[in-house]
Amino acid sequence: MKKYVYFLLVVVFIFILTGCSGSKQKLYIFNWSYYIPDEVIENFEKDFNVDVVYDVFSSNEEMFAKLKSGGTGYDIVFPSGDYASIMINLGMVEPIDLNNIPNYKYLDKSVLQKITFDTQSNYSIPYMMGGTGIAVNTKYVKNYEKDWNIFLDENLKNKMTLLDDMREVFGIALKQLGYSVNTKNTDELNEAKDLIMKWKKNILKFDAESFAKGFAAEEFYVVHGYAENIFLELEDKSNVDFFMPEIGGPMYVDTMMILKGSKNKELAEKFINYIHDPKVYAQIVDYLGLPSINTEARNLRTTVPYYTIDDLKNSEFKEDLGDFLSVYNKLWQEIRVEN
Amino acid sequence: MTVSLWRSSRMKVNYGTKYSLPMLIWLTLLFIVPSAIIIMFSFMEKNQYGGVNPVFSLQAFKDLMNSAYFKILLNTIYIAVMSTIFTLLLALPSAYYMARSKYKSFLMLLIIIPFWTNFLIRVYAWIAVLGNNGFINQFLLKTGLIKDYIGMLYNNNAVILVMVYTYLPYAILPLYAIIEKFDFSLLEAARDLGASKSQSVFRILIPNIKSGIITSLLFTFIPAFGNYAIPQIIGDKNTNMLGTVIARELTTGRNWPLASAISMLLTLVTVIGVLVFTSKQKNIKKVI
Amino acid sequence: MRKKSFSFSLFVFVLTMIFFYTPIIILFVFSFNSSKTMNWQGFSLVWYKKLFTDSADIWRSFGNSIIVALSSSAVATFIGTLGAIGIRWYKFRSKRFIEIISYLPLVLPDIIIGVSLLIMFSLVKIKLSLFTIFLAHATFNIPYVLFIVLSRLDEFDSTILEAAKDLGASEIQTLLKVIIPISVPGIIAGFLMSMTLSLDDFVITFFVSGPGSSTLPLHIYSMIRFGVSPVINAISAVMIIGTILLAVLTRRFYKYMF
Repeated sequence: MKKYVYFLLVVVFIFILTGCSGSKQKLYIFNWSYYIPDEVIENFEKDFNVDVVYDVFSSNEEMFAKLKSGGTGYDIVFPSGDYASIMINLGMVEPIDLNNIPNYKYLDKSVLQKITFDTQSNYSIPYMMGGTGIAVNTKYVKNYEKDWNIFLDENLKNKMTLLDDMREVFGIALKQLGYSVNTKNTDELNEAKDLIMKWKKNILKFDAESFAKGFAAEEFYVVHGYAENIFLELEDKSNVDFFMPEIGGPMYVDTMMILKGSKNKELAEKFINYIHDPKVYAQIVDYLGLPSINTEARNLRTTVPYYTIDDLKNSEFKEDLGDFLSVYNKLWQEIRVEN
Repeated sequence: MTVSLWRSSRMKVNYGTKYSLPMLIWLTLLFIVPSAIIIMFSFMEKNQYGGVNPVFSLQAFKDLMNSAYFKILLNTIYIAVMSTIFTLLLALPSAYYMARSKYKSFLMLLIIIPFWTNFLIRVYAWIAVLGNNGFINQFLLKTGLIKDYIGMLYNNNAVILVMVYTYLPYAILPLYAIIEKFDFSLLEAARDLGASKSQSVFRILIPNIKSGIITSLLFTFIPAFGNYAIPQIIGDKNTNMLGTVIARELTTGRNWPLASAISMLLTLVTVIGVLVFTSKQKNIKKVI
Repeated sequence: MRKKSFSFSLFVFVLTMIFFYTPIIILFVFSFNSSKTMNWQGFSLVWYKKLFTDSADIWRSFGNSIIVALSSSAVATFIGTLGAIGIRWYKFRSKRFIEIISYLPLVLPDIIIGVSLLIMFSLVKIKLSLFTIFLAHATFNIPYVLFIVLSRLDEFDSTILEAAKDLGASEIQTLLKVIIPISVPGIIAGFLMSMTLSLDDFVITFFVSGPGSSTLPLHIYSMIRFGVSPVINAISAVMIIGTILLAVLTRRFYKYMF
């Protein structure tokens, strides 16, 4: 018995110790994994003499479910546009003072114009823009059309994957049919569902976790997914063709926001400004291989991105659907269950 | 005499409560209360941005009355039952061997250590074994036993295999703990009295360790029933399990009442299963 | 004949061990791969070098995992064992109720437990930290310990308790000298199982973790789309070999410990 009591005391003691270590000012960031290279964080810590605590999430929905049910303590969070707009509407974020973000001037105006949920950047500063595409293993697949309907090709049966992501898959199907990725028209959605059901016959699975790994291991020859994930897995990049269909698709903009209740608002603004320092931003896009939305950084970057802003010209930002989401949800459920 | 009997039975009452009290308090505060909140959610109106509006509604249960969920429930039961059967077939002899070994504690550690590495890494290791370019296919192709690779991953069978792999140690441990105290001379006595090998195992060993078997069954079946990571990574486009659906409703669907209602369905099926199991156990006891 | 039945169990045991260690061997081999993919590109110690020189965050989350696993398993084993003893040998009113509710944490999917705990923590304003992870892990571990110890105790006759009392043992003496010793294999099994569950949990931990209290699984799952770094293979190999070495070195003390 005594032993147990001692043990419990030790446990409590450890918690107290881990709870109050360090005296530097701390900035708590909640972000996608590997979205900012370690060096950038380390340099920021050095330059401003602070500690950065960097926690990660792997989807907007998870992040939102956590914040919504009471997860707090973070200063900066990086949601995508549709969730950024929800969080603004729900009053979950602090306004940002653009006077404290002088590097805002480097942001590409044509990108800013496309943003509908926060036109004046009162609450959110764009971080990165991109979209999903298709990666093809050209060693095994010779003849194919650079089109979303590649998933109709029966020769590639069970060699292809679509993302396990409702909005993305509906988005590409809607675009393929010539509709908006944010449509609230039930007929259009049903048509999209029929198309997805045809694709489903040929794909192996809906996969949002290991499509890149499976592609690299040659389990799948054609995958729908994010370029940066796919290229990070590949040792030999000569057999891969990554493309975004001409007709366009859904695209995203990830933003930086300051959460309500942040105790370090000033430091958070410094961090956001630091990210858009052209030299720093160039370092980030070089690491990610994504197009730069910082005009000055485009001149400073040393690598060629996997795709350009121009590839996204026909694409559309995903927007919050509000209550209509339940219609998507119901159809998606049917897609997943029906054969 | 009567006084002392009365006293001793009273002591039992006190100590029983005392021993179980910490657990009762812990589970009440950290399990019953939070679950009650979630159960309440299933009777409320959904908020379009996740969470609920504090308005009474039965919409979630109406949504649940959909043949799709019935289909998913059947598939979930199938996978969980198959996984449980195979797990137990491997677990019983393994636990028996461990319990009879000289190095019991060491073997127990040996059984559990592989599972102290991360689940995801282990699953990826399975992909390296079973995949199209995995070791088994490579070996068979090189030796000329097959012409084209065999697709072993991404189907219900692969899901069952990885489930067995994941839950086997949880089935072995309770069985080991109970076989360890089994008096093996009973088996010899039965053999001396002319019982066959299988007779002595089924008539003597199995009835004596049945509570361990039931614990193993539950430790395999229940978590397999609610699992969602394995079907997601190893399953194919048609692998749907209730756990996956709950996670989807809670995150992408932002329909918390429905997620909560499906969880209640899951709980209900399991509790009924457990009650059937445990009442059966009592009947067996009476017969013997 | 008896020998033959014994070798059947040995056969299955060996089969089980192969089944268990195949992925571990692969993980081990790939920790020496010079490439980060699952294709063999040549022998290299690069991941171990990275692990020991440039992986402060991995070690920190590893440390968090160990702290949570040890503390939550110890507490769960303590509470669960006592609970099992109370349920098995003493009669009191809420007994059946406790048994039934104890099954439920096994049933509910992780994500529901995670969200519900988070909602409760935020309602009562408990700050999210390692401590909340510890609370959550102990909660889902208790039923496992309870049921293992219960099944261990199930076949013992309660007359041994009365015998102990007749011989003049106090309640505490009965507990320490009779009940605990006969439940030891169950207690160890329960503790090991709790460790395993705790070291592997991702979903519940994601919801109840606070800023800066990442555990190793949280770290690993966050890599999932960007490819899990072989540094993780390296740390797993180090951990397995470390544990086995520790077990072999301390095997002489087993009889005293257990």
